[in-house]
Amino acid sequence: MSNTELVALLPLISFATVITIVLLAIPFWRNLKGICALSVVGLLISLATILWTTRIVPIQVTPLVLIDQYALLFMTLICLATVAVALLAYDYLKEREGQQEEFYLLLLLAALGAIVLVCSSHFASFLLGLELLGISLYALISFPIRGQATLEAALKYLILSGVASAFLLFGTALIFAALGTLSFNEMVQGFYVDVGSNRLYVMVGSALMLAGICFKLSLVPFHMWTPDVYEGAPAPVTAFVATVSKGAIFAILLRFFIWTDAYQYESILFGLGIIAVLSMLAGNLLALMQSSVKRILAYSSIAHLGYLLVAFIAGRLAGGAALAVEAASYFLVAYFITTLGAFGVVSIMSNGNRERDLDDIASYEGLFSRRPFLATAFTAMLLSLAGIPLTVGFVGKFYIFAAGVQGALASYGWSLLVALIIGSGIGLYYYLRIVFAMTKRPAATDSAATEWITIPVAGGWVMLTLTGTLLALGVYPTPLIELINSMVRSLPL
Amino acid sequence: MELILFYLAAAISLGTTLMAITRTNAAHALIYFIISLLASAVIFFLVGAPFAAVLEVIVYAGAIMVLFVFVIMMLNLGEAGQRQEQAWLSLSAWIVPAILAAILLAEMVLVLSSSETPIPAQSVTPKQVGESLFGPYILAVEIASMLLLAGLVGAYHLGRRYLEETREDEGE
Repeated sequence: MSNTELVALLPLISFATVITIVLLAIPFWRNLKGICALSVVGLLISLATILWTTRIVPIQVTPLVLIDQYALLFMTLICLATVAVALLAYDYLKEREGQQEEFYLLLLLAALGAIVLVCSSHFASFLLGLELLGISLYALISFPIRGQATLEAALKYLILSGVASAFLLFGTALIFAALGTLSFNEMVQGFYVDVGSNRLYVMVGSALMLAGICFKLSLVPFHMWTPDVYEGAPAPVTAFVATVSKGAIFAILLRFFIWTDAYQYESILFGLGIIAVLSMLAGNLLALMQSSVKRILAYSSIAHLGYLLVAFIAGRLAGGAALAVEAASYFLVAYFITTLGAFGVVSIMSNGNRERDLDDIASYEGLFSRRPFLATAFTAMLLSLAGIPLTVGFVGKFYIFAAGVQGALASYGWSLLVALIIGSGIGLYYYLRIVFAMTKRPAATDSAATEWITIPVAGGWVMLTLTGTLLALGVYPTPLIELINSMVRSLPL
Repeated sequence: MELILFYLAAAISLGTTLMAITRTNAAHALIYFIISLLASAVIFFLVGAPFAAVLEVIVYAGAIMVLFVFVIMMLNLGEAGQRQEQAWLSLSAWIVPAILAAILLAEMVLVLSSSETPIPAQSVTPKQVGESLFGPYILAVEIASMLLLAGLVGAYHLGRRYLEETREDEGE
């Protein structure tokens, strides 16, 4: 391995080093604050190495890993999101009983899995990254020592995620049987055009693989686990599952489709179109009937992944993957900021040694009069999820619409646009329902609703930063757009 | 010849997996599952991957599954457990897996003792496996080590919770 290759691997190496240091520090130094600080500093150092690596990309390091601008952009996003989750989790865990330090070890391992995913260019690293992410998440979801709900959520995730991984593995095996390679780069020439009689294997393999991926992205009809896991998992972990885990998997899906030009399989694209429409409609409709904020956000995230698929498909139908990558990347950034913020509020509300997270919509009543800052931040997040102007969510959704409108001219593209519009319309109702609940005066007898919530220092800063970024990128999105554009230009489209 | 051996092993593998899924008795299911793993090992051997076959036997059929069997058996201590183990030893429970295992053994003996050219025309040696693992796939090995660490830490955390709970129960 040459020096340049080692430099290119620095983000991964520094991540692994931080994990080792944290692992060695925990037995000698049981101190939640210290371990949290160590992890955050380590994450920031990894972030610095990412910036340093930008000078030498794109570079292929062994057949497994491709470090390019695309990978670095998503790595940055994952690192920042993990910092936010780490800080939120500190407040969430500090008043709980038992030893909590392993949380950071597992969180860093999960983030490493996500980082491996976004830079992998080979099925081996893809599957390893996915499993690293998944296995860390099983433990994270059931992390706090408390009732049955978390265990149920973790068990559900363990079993269903295991089945999805099996689908993914079998699909990969079929593709390998047909093509004789697992490397995305080598599939460039032969993946579609030359498969000939092996076409059936590739088709079935891709379908199985997509079923596995759609499960991990919780798209309808593979979404059953989402609300239960989101509800049972501790709020900071829910934020992580909703953002980092899904974002990384979407990034690798997009990478696979661009590199191998799997877009050429019309029927697979059409199947994804049906999944997108179902996700947008079912996600938004099911959210209407929920009374738990976490479940509402879970269904909303299903719908949002449906919007992402619109960019993914319609951008391509319109004739170029460039628009698809651009729209999906911007939307993902917006989705990361907003979802982290929304679950951050739930996390701050649920601090302390509670049996379960405070996610009943009734306990948010009168939040504006009790904690105006928290309520304002939550309102901003919800409006951004709904796609109201001046928030980053608006620009993200604008991109999706732009891609959708261009795709609407081609074959079935219009149905995606219609579902997108209907879904967004329904979405407004349940987002605003939470906002209205927050403005309402609570009934005096309700103890949960009148309880005083202290805003912790770390969580407070995270929320302030997220809200600030949300507004800044909503009002002046140009720098981010330019960054994403330069990334898109560097891709071999 | 090679094809017949392959289809025989494949049929045993499929059949025993089906039996493993449909057994209501966990110990019986595990026995069938072990046979299924042995059958896949024979298939690996037939297609020219003796190293993978050996690993399959040592790691899966050997270490993991035997561990499973022991855990399940140890959970049934006492007189009820003894009766249970008597029931497990009934002829109908072990004769089918035993015959299937014997068939697999016969296949192996046949392949190994045939004086003609070895049946797998080209086989992957352990050296080749090692060279590719620590050559182009070195990062996969490193990531897999992190994967095991994640599993270890997760199991430790969840297991400790169980230990603490039982300790509390005993204290009360």
